[in-house]
Amino acid sequence: MKKRLVAAVLAAMMAVSAFTGCGSNSGGNDKANEDPAANKAAPSVKKEELSGTEITFWHAMGGVNGEALDYLVQKFNKENDMGITVKSEYQGSYDDSLNKLKSAQMGNMGADLVQVYEIGTRFMIDSDWIIPMQSFMDQDDYKVNLESNIAAYYTIDDTLYSMPFNTSTPILYYNKDMFKAAGLENAPTNFSEIEKMSDALKTKGKASEVLSMGIYGWFFEQYLCKQGANYANNGNGREKAATAVEFDSNGGALQILNGWKKMYDAGIAPNVGRGGDAGLADFSSGKAAITIGSTASLKQILEDVNGKFEVGTAYFPASGDSDKGGVSIGGASLWALDNKDDKKAAATWEFVKFLVSPESQAYWNAQTGYFPVTADAYEEPVFKENIKKYPQFQTAIDQLHDSAPEYCGALLSVFSEARAVVETEIENMLNGKQTPEKAVEKMASDINKAIEEYNLVNE
Amino acid sequence: MKKNQSVLKKMGPYIYLLPCLAVFAIFLFYPFAKTIYLSLFKTNKMGEAKLFVGFENYADLLASKSFYNSLIVTVIFVLIVVAISMTLGLLGAVLCNRTFPGIRFFSTAYALPMAIASASAAMIFKIMLDPSVGIVNKLLGVDINWVSDERYALICVAVLTGWLNSGINFLYFSAGLSNIDDSIYERASVDGANAVQKFFRLTIPNLEPIIFYTLVVDIIQAFQSFGQVKILTEGGPGESTNLIVYSIYRDAFFNYRFGTAAAESIVLFLIIMCLTLVMFKAEGKGKDIEKSAGKKRNKRISKNAAGEGGR
Repeated sequence: MKKRLVAAVLAAMMAVSAFTGCGSNSGGNDKANEDPAANKAAPSVKKEELSGTEITFWHAMGGVNGEALDYLVQKFNKENDMGITVKSEYQGSYDDSLNKLKSAQMGNMGADLVQVYEIGTRFMIDSDWIIPMQSFMDQDDYKVNLESNIAAYYTIDDTLYSMPFNTSTPILYYNKDMFKAAGLENAPTNFSEIEKMSDALKTKGKASEVLSMGIYGWFFEQYLCKQGANYANNGNGREKAATAVEFDSNGGALQILNGWKKMYDAGIAPNVGRGGDAGLADFSSGKAAITIGSTASLKQILEDVNGKFEVGTAYFPASGDSDKGGVSIGGASLWALDNKDDKKAAATWEFVKFLVSPESQAYWNAQTGYFPVTADAYEEPVFKENIKKYPQFQTAIDQLHDSAPEYCGALLSVFSEARAVVETEIENMLNGKQTPEKAVEKMASDINKAIEEYNLVNE
Repeated sequence: MKKNQSVLKKMGPYIYLLPCLAVFAIFLFYPFAKTIYLSLFKTNKMGEAKLFVGFENYADLLASKSFYNSLIVTVIFVLIVVAISMTLGLLGAVLCNRTFPGIRFFSTAYALPMAIASASAAMIFKIMLDPSVGIVNKLLGVDINWVSDERYALICVAVLTGWLNSGINFLYFSAGLSNIDDSIYERASVDGANAVQKFFRLTIPNLEPIIFYTLVVDIIQAFQSFGQVKILTEGGPGESTNLIVYSIYRDAFFNYRFGTAAAESIVLFLIIMCLTLVMFKAEGKGKDIEKSAGKKRNKRISKNAAGEGGR
């Protein structure tokens, strides 16, 4: 009997211990909810005083990208003559590092510089933790030749809040050998062209799959940008915080979903899974004729294909025949955190300047496939060499230059959740659980509810 | 002086308990109370309780289709996992209960899943189940997108979890089997019982306490599975593998709605608590029936023989 009692107690303990993780987020800091101070002044510290300053840099770059970033950090530590030391710390995925930042900020023990993904922009602006990059630039009278489309994404109310660092756009990859065998000259530019080509690609091109496209919220957003349609109200959440989505009422989402479903039903675009990289394997293995992916995947794709066939790149396709918009960007930017330490803030700014210098950016581009954020990097020998080796990358640059800055995409406080909702509903639609109309309706109601609740408690 | 000593004597046990209680208080009781507290609030983006809403979080949950879906998915998942892990564990243990050359290798192999982290196992399964380069499709000669197809995703995650949990079950069952006195098998053989009869009439009844304990732990463990889901399917496709624990994680650390997540946690806690209580009750009843059926004697004999008589 005693034994059984012990077993019961142990079992109960196990049951309790599983659900306690969520309670550990203690309160106490209400400061973050006052109105965000957009124009926090940058400190004025003389460079000579910075000697011995150590700053912490949180990033989310693993693998090859992480190595490239560490190289840049070490280079800065060695070469800067101000005596600044940067400690770079890998914090896991974008989601992880933002979550850690939230916990760390409560105890004011976080980093001085942090890399946050593009959809965390609204959150960071509202957080009141940061010193806008614009303040540093004005203080230092610093000019950087940022790519206008990239700058447009991170500029809100004429203030550049964060420094773009790693930026990508989606492009279309195609198997040139299959296209040649099918007698096709050019890559498709929209859904209906893909449909028209599919027969030739399957019969003459011997493709067992035409389009291998992962179910990814970012792609959905890009198809909207291509239409020039807004994702959310209040000017895509850029004039002020969005209060509801707009893709349902402007018909943008329905056009995308109808096109997607049509290709799925016709066996052109099967369900290859969720996520930005989900479609790449089928393409690299020679199964699919076309895939959609980030420019940052170019190197990986070329490595995986390994010369089995020729890889072509083209602009990201449109969902409709008459779409006139452009593409937006993805990736991440650097945020300077306000730790009430002038020296550290000044040192952070010196490091940021180093990271966006043409030389660093050319190296970064060559190692990772992210864009150089400054146009000056195109003149660097490292860049020229790289583009000779990977001429496919030129497509990405042309596409970015061809897109007007006004298609810079939405800002949304609950963007990561919205993205997940979009992916789930597209999945349900492809699996035949709901019509495209129902899917759009569900997306809009779910996301609107999330926005409403967020605005209610975060005023 | 004497009085003091007796007070100390009375207090002594409680003082000894203090360190243990402190640990429990910090890591279990306080978070538990905080979870209940949070479940009555809506939280802001920092996870701070901001707006008292009473039982609205619970009401929302009970009105949400997604939550019922999670419940159903979780129940199916638990059933599959428990069935697989118990069967595999018991089968392995019975097979390894004999001595033969290479027994060490087999014992290790069957116990091994215990030592594998769920996350790394999920990574390996992900590669094996990959539709274009995975070995599963190659071996079976089919073209199925295992984790992206609603029909298979839940089964894939459940089979993986069942296999992972089977290792520790194997260990429990092996220990239980070695506690059964060999002489009762010998006697049964003399009476002309065959292997199947011996298994169901002798092995299973003698293992019963262990089987029961394993069942309880397995069910609780299955309810708590998380890493596999996070890596293999992220709750998808659609919401077909959105187990409760994963949906709690999503709400808390992805959507930053700690209130909803806390409410879900409490509901899950109640479910598991009820389940555990019911099972212990049922086990107690089972014992009573057994006793009245006169099997008690048999048990006492085997227990004494196993050297547990010194109580």
